[in-house]
Amino acid sequence: MSERRAAIAARVGERGGARRRALTWRRRRQLAGLLCVLPALVCTTVFFFVPLGLDVWMSLNQWPLLGDHEFIGLQNYAQAVHDSAFLSSVGVTVLYTVIITPALLVLAFVLALLTQGTDRASRFFRTLYFLPVPVGLASASYLFVWLVQPNVGPIGRVLQLTGAVHQPPVWLAATIPALLVVVGMVVWKVTGLQMILLMAGMQSIPEAMHEAATVDGAGWWRRFVFITLPLLRPTLALVLVFSVAGSLLAFDQFYIITAGGPSNSTLTAVYTIYRTSFVSFHLGYGAALSILTMLVLAAVSAVQLLLVSQSTEMS
Amino acid sequence: MARAPRVAWWGACLALAALFVFPLYLTLGQSLKTSAEAAASPPTLFPHQLSIQNYLNLNGQAGSIDMPVHLLNSLLVALATSAGTVVLATLAGYGFARLRFPGAGLLFLAMLAAFMIPFQAIITPLYVVLHTLGLSNSLVGLTLVYITFQLPFGLFLMRNSFAALPSDLEESAQLDGCSLAGTLWRVMLPLAVPGVVTTALFSFFTSWNEFFAALILITDQGKFTLPVVLSVLQTGQFGTIDWGVLEAGVVLSAAPCVVLFLLLQKYYVGGLLSGAVK
Amino acid sequence: MLAAVLLAGACSGSGGGSSGTTTLTLWARDSEKTFIGQIVDQFNQSHKNIHVNVTIIPANDPFVQKLGTATANGSGPDVVSIDLVFVPYFAKTGALRDITSQAKGLSYLSGFDSAHMRLANYNGKMYALPFTAESSVVFYNKTLFQRAGLDPAKPPTTWAELEAAAVKIRGLGGNNYGYVWPGANGGASIFELAPFVWASGGEVVGGTPGQSVPMFNSPAVTDMLTFMHNMAQEGVIPPSASTDTTSNSLTAFQSGTVGMCPAGAFFIPQLQSSKTFDWGVFPIPGKTGGYSSFAGGDEIAVGSDTKSPDAAWTFVQWATDMTAQQTMAKLGVMPVRVDLAPTIYTPQNPAYSIFIQALQQGHTVDSTVENALINDNNGPWATMIHDAIFNGNIKATQDTAQTKAQAIVAAG
Repeated sequence: MSERRAAIAARVGERGGARRRALTWRRRRQLAGLLCVLPALVCTTVFFFVPLGLDVWMSLNQWPLLGDHEFIGLQNYAQAVHDSAFLSSVGVTVLYTVIITPALLVLAFVLALLTQGTDRASRFFRTLYFLPVPVGLASASYLFVWLVQPNVGPIGRVLQLTGAVHQPPVWLAATIPALLVVVGMVVWKVTGLQMILLMAGMQSIPEAMHEAATVDGAGWWRRFVFITLPLLRPTLALVLVFSVAGSLLAFDQFYIITAGGPSNSTLTAVYTIYRTSFVSFHLGYGAALSILTMLVLAAVSAVQLLLVSQSTEMS
Repeated sequence: MARAPRVAWWGACLALAALFVFPLYLTLGQSLKTSAEAAASPPTLFPHQLSIQNYLNLNGQAGSIDMPVHLLNSLLVALATSAGTVVLATLAGYGFARLRFPGAGLLFLAMLAAFMIPFQAIITPLYVVLHTLGLSNSLVGLTLVYITFQLPFGLFLMRNSFAALPSDLEESAQLDGCSLAGTLWRVMLPLAVPGVVTTALFSFFTSWNEFFAALILITDQGKFTLPVVLSVLQTGQFGTIDWGVLEAGVVLSAAPCVVLFLLLQKYYVGGLLSGAVK
Repeated sequence: MLAAVLLAGACSGSGGGSSGTTTLTLWARDSEKTFIGQIVDQFNQSHKNIHVNVTIIPANDPFVQKLGTATANGSGPDVVSIDLVFVPYFAKTGALRDITSQAKGLSYLSGFDSAHMRLANYNGKMYALPFTAESSVVFYNKTLFQRAGLDPAKPPTTWAELEAAAVKIRGLGGNNYGYVWPGANGGASIFELAPFVWASGGEVVGGTPGQSVPMFNSPAVTDMLTFMHNMAQEGVIPPSASTDTTSNSLTAFQSGTVGMCPAGAFFIPQLQSSKTFDWGVFPIPGKTGGYSSFAGGDEIAVGSDTKSPDAAWTFVQWATDMTAQQTMAKLGVMPVRVDLAPTIYTPQNPAYSIFIQALQQGHTVDSTVENALINDNNGPWATMIHDAIFNGNIKATQDTAQTKAQAIVAAG
């Protein structure tokens, strides 16, 4: 590869001063790289980093939604570390994430492997599995509230008709079933997207590698574990980082389906932040909780990236 | 292929398909029921009497709600978000994957941060920023916000897509006299199409369904997007829900997204890389 | 404020329009969508130099967030119609304009119901006018009553009678239950359960708006919780009520399988659209007699960010006068003008007189921290209601709730 680079550099350097031209050539590429990134960077700076800075400032203040604010340094953070309600909501969130991440990933893999063909039947099923993805999270949440409702919901009715239960169960009245309803809804809605991502990743693995392995006598499972999975590292990194981040930041589905219940046992971290900022109107404290959440999430994502992806460049 | 695996394949696919489609079928059915049947206990599993009353209720119960306007607002914002995200993410993804510059790694990680903050936390400062720029109560401002928060996903995806392509491609193109821009446009991009399509679809869906920012950042009734208006139509006193309208709303909002997916689906079909450009 | 820190000149709100027309922005909540458009059109047609544009916003949390965020940045609306329980908070934080002097000039100030008037006042000044009313009563299924051997013309007037009726209806078996309400919704519980306390002479939140005194562990509240807990134990309340935060209870009543369900006049159109049984209403009774209700609804106020206070006041005043109130009453909205009610509202439906009657014995919660205390589905009131009624351990639940409530008042 470096011979090619040298060849290009040499051609460019034909006009004289080969080494100087080589440097310029690399510089030009770097500058081009920066220019490519610049538009996205500007957008992110204006609409994210600046508000984030404001958030940090707010977190150092006693900041009510309406009214004057007062600088209090790191008091909000000190309070957050001892806030048992917030800490237990973090625990609930972690539990939820631990349950749902593997559920999503495994099912998505199964679906991707099943429908990766190019025939019409595969495409048909692929579409069906993807259908719930465009339904909004809030709409899907309301949908599931209705589905599991004991009096007018169809699932209870179906269970009754098949003789599995006598009376439709009240799923949302106990913590674990309520949590599972939420998990069920998110799995239903999100698996299709992860399936697509995994499939796109699998497409980029050259057919030749699979053929060579088959010739060498490797069966389906061995090919999956030793060829597909390792080469899917970048895609897995993508899927995992966003899946975990999304789960740790879960709010809407809990707000709508369980309303944090029963008895506040399914309040997530962001739910607590929401209540702090928009029900109690303590924006400063809410901002501090958010910054803490973000830092934790950044750390978790960094760890994931380190573990899962090594080199994203193919040689 | 042997017979047994093929049957097993069909069996598995159908069983899973039933699980995924059943809730949607129920929603469609419920949206077509009359108000009385929709409230029945125990519930009927398919409409005994068809009625489009729920869909009629969606359009202008109040006279001040003009559904086509809101549909259009949502469509414009979602399309613009999709296009903007694709352009910015593709450019940046290419830059990060291929055109290494000092500090690229750290910058990439920093730009992923937008995905890691709860939206509720950032909405008040965002409002202030938009207000300062004169973009509050503006669909343009809303679009820019949406693009910003879709970028991390698109960026990561496009970077992966470009990084997965063999580096010889670029070098042959340049040897053939292609400029950097030309290389991107004519050689790399066509091979990264699945990534582009996924980015476009996902940004479209997310901005199409987004409620909270649309609520806080837009004030004029005429500029409201679909999710906000649907929320108004679906809820009443104390958050009581009109289930029929809700389900009709779900069908209405999901339909364009599904159509879009069907149109773009073919770009996922495999084999784009086999027989790659020589 | 935030605006002052960053801005070099706010804008938004409204100003002069073309050819001397003043444009006003009006924010209303979604429950008003059935009539607010017509009212605004009527006003615009009769007032050629003022044009009102209405924005309908999802109620409760979203509405409060939006109003708060906008006002914090100097871009609040000219006129706003708010759920009356939020008026103390927004009055205290300066989001609403002082209209004391203009209000004093109204000839019909005494025609408004007293609960609304109380909430419109903060620290001796008036910040809003009553706009729409709502009161809570008990809807009962006359057909089920008859089947259970109860006299449909004589609905319960005491707690004992209510409990007995519920038990009899549950005795019909199957899917039939005696009493239902959204057991996990704080706002619904204050609307529908607190009147039991008030009718028996007790109180839920006392003190002044700025210095609330929660009374969650008072004996009157214990009585109400015990009463409801007994009914839950006897199985007359469907188990789904314990997790209901939305309208499952209303749907259950609508399906004809529940004997009694408290609600407001907003429920009537929904019931009328599926008439499969005979229904009536009765006021929420006290322990041994008497009755009360939650006097709810909206107040209408001039936003403090307005650039046209006089035009805004014109609309606010017009909205509470005969023309507007009559239009609204015809559309089924309960009027705040109890002096006009007998002529413009009651004649339309026999049930309406019960609503007005209940409104006049109505109480409400007058507190600047009402949202965090009561409306919050995860707050002390909602948690206490749910835990005490469905899990028992009443005294302990009350004490926990009281402590949390006091902390909220202290934090302000």
